[in-house]
Amino acid sequence: MVRVLAALVVGVALAIGASVGVVNVVAPSPEPPNKPLYNYGNR
Amino acid sequence: MRDRRLARAAPAVAALVAGLLALGPALRPGYVLRYDMVFVPDPPLTLAAGGFPRAVPSDLLVALLAHLVPAAALQKIVLVGLFVLAGSGAAALVPGRRTLPKVAAAVFYAWNVYLAQRLLLGQWALLLGVAGLPWAVRAAARGGPPWRVAVALLPAAAGGFQAMLVSALAVLPVAATRPAPRPARLRGTLGALAVIALLSLPWAVPALRADAVTDPAGVAAFAPRADGPFGALGGLLGLGGIWNAQAEVPGQAAWWLAAGRLAVAAAAVAAFAGLPGLSGFRSTRPEPGAPVPGGGGTGFRNPDGPAGPPPGPPDLPSAPGTPDPPYFRGVPGPAAPPGTPVALPGRSGPAPGAWPDCRAGLLVAAAGGLAVALAGAYAPGLVGALIAGWPGFGPLRDGQLYIAPLAVVQAVGFGLLAGRVTRPRPGGGRAAVAVPAVVAVLVPVLLLPGFAWGAAGRLAAVRYPAEWRQAQRIVNGDPRPGALLSLPWGAHRAFGWNGGRVILDPATKAFARRVLWNDSLTVADRDGRVIRVGGEDREARRLGAVLAAGTGPLTPALRAAGVRYVLVAGPDRNTFSSRLPGATAVLAGGEVLLLRL
Repeated sequence: MVRVLAALVVGVALAIGASVGVVNVVAPSPEPPNKPLYNYGNR
Repeated sequence: MRDRRLARAAPAVAALVAGLLALGPALRPGYVLRYDMVFVPDPPLTLAAGGFPRAVPSDLLVALLAHLVPAAALQKIVLVGLFVLAGSGAAALVPGRRTLPKVAAAVFYAWNVYLAQRLLLGQWALLLGVAGLPWAVRAAARGGPPWRVAVALLPAAAGGFQAMLVSALAVLPVAATRPAPRPARLRGTLGALAVIALLSLPWAVPALRADAVTDPAGVAAFAPRADGPFGALGGLLGLGGIWNAQAEVPGQAAWWLAAGRLAVAAAAVAAFAGLPGLSGFRSTRPEPGAPVPGGGGTGFRNPDGPAGPPPGPPDLPSAPGTPDPPYFRGVPGPAAPPGTPVALPGRSGPAPGAWPDCRAGLLVAAAGGLAVALAGAYAPGLVGALIAGWPGFGPLRDGQLYIAPLAVVQAVGFGLLAGRVTRPRPGGGRAAVAVPAVVAVLVPVLLLPGFAWGAAGRLAAVRYPAEWRQAQRIVNGDPRPGALLSLPWGAHRAFGWNGGRVILDPATKAFARRVLWNDSLTVADRDGRVIRVGGEDREARRLGAVLAAGTGPLTPALRAAGVRYVLVAGPDRNTFSSRLPGATAVLAGGEVLLLRL
């Protein structure tokens, strides 16, 4: 029983953390560029 | 029989589900175009020319297979296959017969920061090697004839130089440290070395003939970076730390998620290394080829020695209340040193052959790979000096890619941990196994939720504008020789029709003739300064100097350089039209201007 409760607590905590992370991710993004030249990336 | 098959297929199915969830919109009709991942319709069968052969032989294989399957479908098969190959391989490295630890390892190896970041950088060819890495490790640890290693390394061989380098980093230490008599170990190591050398020929020969140059400035541009709250070291230990901020998984830097991944990583490595009470490794040192006592009548079989016990029944999920295999039981006492043959579990009857002990070799490989990555972050001068001394050290500049063996270590360790926390106990009931099992399998996903659905849309399928196809048909249908110059003079594009995702210039893959393009790279640092990494193609460098010299006509110089076509992509084509007097516009659209000289 203790193990089940511990697993549930961990699972719920992870699910909440993941949900918060996803909400942050799906925020509106700016208009995509249309540039013929672009950096390989930014550090 | 049906249950056995289901149990065996479970890790691959779990990895498949993870792959479908991760790819999401990338599986719609069209091409997934992002950074180095550029597939084009009807790719031509051409040999790489100029610069370091980065896409050899992967591009050639794609062109060959595209005769059988449309390139867009082929790309999806490759992407989904990566996940299945990776997950099933990690599962195969988890000792024991229970399905849950294998599924947990499969999900971890198919859903981690390393794989996600490299996918977001479009490095599918590298990921071919990473996906096949557990299989290659397994083959090296088993010993026996070299063809086993050769078969396991085929995905890496198809991927090219990065995939083979990462594979060699893991395969050689594993072969050199596997528990076997010294002569057999030496034979196995030399055999693996020969196989790696042979399978590297497709890119090594052109690389040696390419006369390419490597700019040491790439060390600063491609060194691992902090992609979370725990610095570059914390990022690397959590399997991240890629140089490009745009390859970060959305939301990965959240402190609670990064902390969770780091904690899981530490526990998984400890479990893999055999710390008491975590993995429950139970080891003995048998004579080579002799059965190992303990573990319910299980045995260690040395592939180079006499045959061990016959294979037993395949993996089956443990029934509630069934005594757990001793492998996961956390046997009291000191842990055996890495490399010690491991007694395998068995619930009834003989053991299923032997688990190839790869612990020592994989730990060496993981530590070595981490050291290479850390050198780029904390001792860039050393890496730069190596590259300046010999361009062959160029692949060391993107050191983060060498932490792939650490990903294998963590995946297997995570599987061992999952086995430990879900082992059935007398009177525990089904829930005592099922609930922790579900949570354990979901942990990798919940700690990196931003990877889902094409990393929140960063991976998505699009269609090429019709003008691109038209330009391809015109150029590839022209029998007259001559190179194609791709403008604007830069390696990467961010087209509106591709959602603004940055991609390598598609012209580099689309035409059945020499394409001259600017293979130098620009990377912006945190202060907004641009790091320019010089190109590797000497001819492109010469042409770049011509283009940069003033604003006068280019036509005579381009004709002299053997250029027949000039392709101008993007909306600012007028910039170049005025510099190409006498050129004939054979295609003038909103996205593409194609000029014939």
